[in-house]
Amino acid sequence: MKTNSTRQLRISWFEKNIQWMLIVPTVILLLALTVYPLVYLVIGMFHTINIRTGERTFVGLGNFIEMVQDPFFWNAMKNTAIYTCSAVAIEFGLGLFLAVALSRRIVGRNIFRSLILTPMMLPPIVAAVIFKIIYMPDFGILNWFLALFGIEGIIWEASVNTALISLIIVDVWQWTPFMFLILLAGLQAIPLDPYEAAEVDGATGLQIFRDITFPLLKPAVLIALLLRIMDTFRIFDQIFIMTGGGPANATETMSIYIYRHGFRFSDVGYATAMSFVMLIITIMISNIFIKRLRTEEVF
Amino acid sequence: MKVRSFFRYLVIILITLAIIFPVIWLVSTSFKNPVDIFAVPPIFIPGNPTTDHYATLFFEADIFKYILNSVIVASITTLVSLLAGTLAAYSLARFKFPLNLNFHLSFWVLSTRMFPPIVTIIPLFAMMRFFGLVNTRIGLILAYSAFNLPFVVWMMRGFFMEIPKELEEAAMVDGDSRMTAFRRIILPIAKPGLVATAVFTMILSWNEFLFALILSQTRAAATLPIGIASTVTQYEIKWGQMSAAGVIAVVPVLVFAFIVQRHLVRGMSFGAIKG
Repeated sequence: MKTNSTRQLRISWFEKNIQWMLIVPTVILLLALTVYPLVYLVIGMFHTINIRTGERTFVGLGNFIEMVQDPFFWNAMKNTAIYTCSAVAIEFGLGLFLAVALSRRIVGRNIFRSLILTPMMLPPIVAAVIFKIIYMPDFGILNWFLALFGIEGIIWEASVNTALISLIIVDVWQWTPFMFLILLAGLQAIPLDPYEAAEVDGATGLQIFRDITFPLLKPAVLIALLLRIMDTFRIFDQIFIMTGGGPANATETMSIYIYRHGFRFSDVGYATAMSFVMLIITIMISNIFIKRLRTEEVF
Repeated sequence: MKVRSFFRYLVIILITLAIIFPVIWLVSTSFKNPVDIFAVPPIFIPGNPTTDHYATLFFEADIFKYILNSVIVASITTLVSLLAGTLAAYSLARFKFPLNLNFHLSFWVLSTRMFPPIVTIIPLFAMMRFFGLVNTRIGLILAYSAFNLPFVVWMMRGFFMEIPKELEEAAMVDGDSRMTAFRRIILPIAKPGLVATAVFTMILSWNEFLFALILSQTRAAATLPIGIASTVTQYEIKWGQMSAAGVIAVVPVLVFAFIVQRHLVRGMSFGAIKG
């Protein structure tokens, strides 16, 4: 009788606090993923750390002073900025064009849509592999194709001048479909009534796009840009396979540079300091977008 | 008007071809003899196709081990993150927390998605080493589960919020406990969403490279992307094997993508757009 009532008590306690019970496992896992690394970074960035022995030496702001004076750090920042801005801008332009073109009634629209969406599902590693084959300098299909138009001798990811562009092309190929997908969904969610009203009022095509389509498309645009900027800013996989950051650091982005210091040079203190900077930039960019998204009531 | 619509089709067809061609080229290369891979002008459909590259991968390069690791890691990760994430999502969608915690918790979950992986991997590596989990599947599964959780929570939270509260309230009036009502009423309704979320989690884990590169350097835990990367060495690129391994990695992903077609917009926009 007694055991039965304690059991009942326990169940009702569990039932009463069920909302907390349900969320605790997730909170613990995410603490391990966010708060612990943050603490590690904030401690690590003031030290030099030997990853093998785990030995720490306090260096104060030494890592940050080194960073400011390190030309390769600024090179990585510059490459990341160029990569992020140009890849996202091109993807947005192409994606918007495709979305508008396919938002009208077109024969075989679903087939086009499925085919166009293929690249974004692939492992980024495979996208890199595919373009390694396409870019082959002497026997590659791209150079054979360009030679038909008299353009010869481009060595793509192997040349300092074209390496970064070659990688941006891979990104554009893989992720334009994503922009297309999100923008198409945004376009299709717009109701028809405002268009009919605008037509009755005699609005021009440009006016309609500026005053109706674009404002209603804004949440989709913001989401697409936010997710793409976050992902290009951290770009690693394709570069690791295609160039490893070379030739002559021409494709070295923040992620690649931090990886090299953390895991190749065993310079963990410096790597954590750079990670911290990267994290701050990420938080700043995503905050801008999330504020806008909240006023648009997406989140 | 006819001319304009003709040009529109032409442009759409050309772009679609440009997008799909690289994938076809990968498949074609994987079946070519070494001589044909380097042929000028390029050979589009190999005249005498070979399966040698696949045979080499399976019998000499141990690709089976990589595939097995990928399958194990991806499926257990999906189970773990779905179990934890679905419960948390239900809690966030249904209960009122004090101090506006619903909002703050949801937002904190979302913000973890913004963390660049390279930023978390150094501390994570140190932690895994401390617990002896480097080069084990368990280490990789734990890392993947944690980084897939935000996705699962946001997706499932959206699906749960679309189900009317009255349904489980009615069941609870009839004497069900909260968890019984959840299991009996809500889960079956949310099943399509649950399946879509599971498939997306599978794809994300299957495709992941950076964590795998750092947390699983030996064959004991290395996943398929690591296997593919190993065909590109400092001294040579094994073109045939590389493309064959690429095809092997792509096939399951395309099957999965086909399954989640209907939820593609939602999955790719982190649950933000209900497409």
